[in-house]
Amino acid sequence: MMSPASVLALLAVALPLLYPAMALNAGWVRAMRFALPLLPLPALVLAVGADPGWQLELPWLLNGGLWAMDELRRLFLLLTAVLWTVAGIYAAGYLKAHHLRRFCVFWGLTLAGNLGLTVAVDIGSFYSLFALMTFAGYGLVVHEGTDEATHAGRVYLIMAVLGEMAILAGLLLASVAADSQMLADLPRAIAGSPRRDLIIALLIAGFGVKAGLPLLHFWLPLAHPVAPTPASAVLSGAMIKAGLLGWLVTLPFGEAALPGWGALMIVAGAVGAIGAAVLGVRQQQPKTVLAYSSISQMGLIVLMVGAAMADSERAPVLFSIIALYALHHGLAKGSLFLSAGITLPSGAMRRAAVWLLIALPGLSLAGLPFTSGALAKLAMKESLLEERLEFAVAGYLSPLMVAGAVATLLLVLRYLWTLNGKIETGRNPPMLVTGWLASVGVSLVAFWWMPWEVEGLVKSPEWLPAGYQLWALAWPMLIAVALAAVALLASRLVRQRSLQ
Amino acid sequence: MTLNAWIPVFALMTSLIASLVIFALPEKGYRLRTWVNLGAALVKLSLVVVMVWGVFQGVEYGLSFTMVPGVTFVLKADALSMMFAGLSAVLWLLTTIYAVGYLEDSPNRSRFFGFFSLCVASTMGIALAGNLFTFFLFYEMLTLSTYPLVVHRGTEKALRAGRTYVIYTLTGGAVLLLAIAWLHGVAGDLPFREGGHFMDADPDIHRSLILIFILLVAGLGVKAAIFPLHGWLPQAMVAPAPVSALLHAVAVVKAGAFGIVRVVYDIYGVEASSALGVLEPLAWLAAFTILYGSFRALSQTDLKRRLAFSTVSQVSYIILGISLFGPVAAAGGLVHLLHQGIMKITLFFCAGNYAETLGIHRIDEMDGAGRRMPGTSVAFTIGAFGMIGAPPLAGFITKWTMGSGALAANMDWVIVVLLSSSLLNAAYFLPVMHRLWFREPAGSWPEERHWGRLETSAWLFWPPLLTAVMTVMVGVLASLPFSPLSWAELIALREYSP
Repeated sequence: MMSPASVLALLAVALPLLYPAMALNAGWVRAMRFALPLLPLPALVLAVGADPGWQLELPWLLNGGLWAMDELRRLFLLLTAVLWTVAGIYAAGYLKAHHLRRFCVFWGLTLAGNLGLTVAVDIGSFYSLFALMTFAGYGLVVHEGTDEATHAGRVYLIMAVLGEMAILAGLLLASVAADSQMLADLPRAIAGSPRRDLIIALLIAGFGVKAGLPLLHFWLPLAHPVAPTPASAVLSGAMIKAGLLGWLVTLPFGEAALPGWGALMIVAGAVGAIGAAVLGVRQQQPKTVLAYSSISQMGLIVLMVGAAMADSERAPVLFSIIALYALHHGLAKGSLFLSAGITLPSGAMRRAAVWLLIALPGLSLAGLPFTSGALAKLAMKESLLEERLEFAVAGYLSPLMVAGAVATLLLVLRYLWTLNGKIETGRNPPMLVTGWLASVGVSLVAFWWMPWEVEGLVKSPEWLPAGYQLWALAWPMLIAVALAAVALLASRLVRQRSLQ
Repeated sequence: MTLNAWIPVFALMTSLIASLVIFALPEKGYRLRTWVNLGAALVKLSLVVVMVWGVFQGVEYGLSFTMVPGVTFVLKADALSMMFAGLSAVLWLLTTIYAVGYLEDSPNRSRFFGFFSLCVASTMGIALAGNLFTFFLFYEMLTLSTYPLVVHRGTEKALRAGRTYVIYTLTGGAVLLLAIAWLHGVAGDLPFREGGHFMDADPDIHRSLILIFILLVAGLGVKAAIFPLHGWLPQAMVAPAPVSALLHAVAVVKAGAFGIVRVVYDIYGVEASSALGVLEPLAWLAAFTILYGSFRALSQTDLKRRLAFSTVSQVSYIILGISLFGPVAAAGGLVHLLHQGIMKITLFFCAGNYAETLGIHRIDEMDGAGRRMPGTSVAFTIGAFGMIGAPPLAGFITKWTMGSGALAANMDWVIVVLLSSSLLNAAYFLPVMHRLWFREPAGSWPEERHWGRLETSAWLFWPPLLTAVMTVMVGVLASLPFSPLSWAELIALREYSP
């Protein structure tokens, strides 16, 4: 007898896979469009309702399938399901008739892969679902059919194929070393393998393509913005996290201290967090600014990943904080992307309200008190305190985080600035507004009821920072605001001078 | 003799008799011919299913009689024969259906289907042959029965391709015969046997054995299209689509690859081959062919030619798998015998559909065809992703199994070959799929025909979809008993612990 959770897990993957079959009948395109928000429902129920620990054995699948959910995977599943739901609502209102059926099919396939990979614990189905997400995602990126989209799609695909090859090689080497087809056996085997460093390099690079690791990132600011807006939201909010999850479930955390790899990741994270901001503030397109912001945020997460590699003792605690941060960022970034496609109402009060709702998830990213960002930032800060970690470069982490926080707010301000230049006044389709409001709601409100864990690093009540914490959150923001003001002033002066 | 002795003979005879009946039928007997074709294919499939079950249970099927003293004719069903026979039986049925639709209203159908059945009878004989002599008989019969199919259209180009084909294959056959005769002189009449015959061979004959091995592989390598003996294959793609499908997936190239498997496993024995030092050069040659075929495929603009070079590459996976020493790699190579067949036949069916329905032959004419022919294009997409090795499809199971085996055998370089080949496959298949789904059509198709409700004739529509479903299923369900992978593991197990 299958448990309800197992049925839900199968349904979560199978339901969106029905879309290609539905597409055979041209008459169903309307139904497909309005059913988009329903596709992630089984996964949503599974993430919210089922306790971690269920297992689904699929011995006939590939080399023996096993799906299961632990605390970590639960958060990734939840993030993925929530984001695809709100983006689905949004998409139902957003989409035009242009190749609608095709878009729905690729949406379904990408969704099936993205949901499934969060609960797949055998190598075969994890890699299969990851690849499904990657290749089907191409259909979302190139959907608009512009030259820009085609170019972005080509870069996306080349990087994706190279990434898939690196992952395949890494998993193959690790699987033979472990003599197992289960992900859970890989970390220990990798730690003890003579090919340890090669495997780690392949897996970091392979999943790093998806996660936007510096030098492997350049497809991302091209591809994330050209996709239709709801697809941008899931690309930058959820699919980017699949690369992160890939690292977490394969690399040898907690098995061996790897200070060299840890330091390398910390450098990569720092370059990503700050470098992306430097490039991002110079962008003209709102969605491109957001894409750079995603790279920057992933850079901050990579700092924690690096710390967890370097200090095996702290890895379990860091995992919880990484998941918390990923959840927070995914929800906020999803909402920001969705806000890029709305139009303003007329009337000053309503406009102000809409601007506030657009800005709040962004300020949450920057660590505004009483938001998920404040909690995530504080937890991250505590988890990376130098005295808690035992490796050489740990001392650099605190200043890096401050720099990252400054970078975050600068990018958010830049986004709001560029959006202000583009946004139009007019009416929105009701589903589109509903989707966007729902995304703001989950980022700002529903987040607090989600099953994240701070491992006692932030004293409760978690939503209420103490005085010294308020200051810790505020001063990087003040620096960013000051920098933005200086930049604004400077640009005004330059413009005045050029006018004279 | 018992019934079990006769079942392989029946399996062989169904296609043979079908062939004779079809030759005898008048050209206009369209309906009857179709029924004879389909009936024979179904009967053969059932017989093969019975034998597969029996072989799994350990039942012995087969008979032998002496032709002249020292030369015996042996038919025998073992696990390896069943793999090839199963492939041939399943794909024959589908190709027959496809060919009936494809050749609708074209001349000389009686001749075509007669030789078509003869060709399938030959593959059955090759599968069930119990020694090299019997194998050779059917191997040459295959050459002779496929020639009329290759030149079926009778055009200048087809005749030229046919000439090349015959020169290559008959020369290969002559070399093979020489090798078989030499081997007979050295070691006598050797039945195929798991574990082979030369485990404890006299060191004096080692040199001869190595030379004979080279000749055998050279003779068989023509059909298996190993570099530099592959030249006939890309030319032969002028044949009608069902023939190409058969040549590339079941009959000809597979017969060559299957023959090499027989020689390595059941004549020499894998351990003896390894001890003689012939396996590693074979592995390198196969690896080179894999990359060479893929490189050549990249620059082809004609769809069928691109697929043909892809076959050159893919068939060598089988050779590579068996020449890596170890049961896991062996299973990876053997399973590709089936996987490559299923995937490649899908792609050739699709190429035929594009040509017949829209008049598309070149890749740059395929823009937007996905919308006009979604079923065919879905099948093509699945087949192509399978070739790339994308999970969870057939090609992925091959690559994963073979890769694991290569690592277990400490031959890490194979991973580089497998990954490079995947990359090259991606480089020549992904742009085609982009054209299918994401480009806008040029306006009008070169030569469009309509069939009513379906995108093409129903006879052409269903076979590629079925093989595409199989491409998914043999991957997703790889761990079920009787899946190609499980069967290949069974063969490898029996070979490595006879």
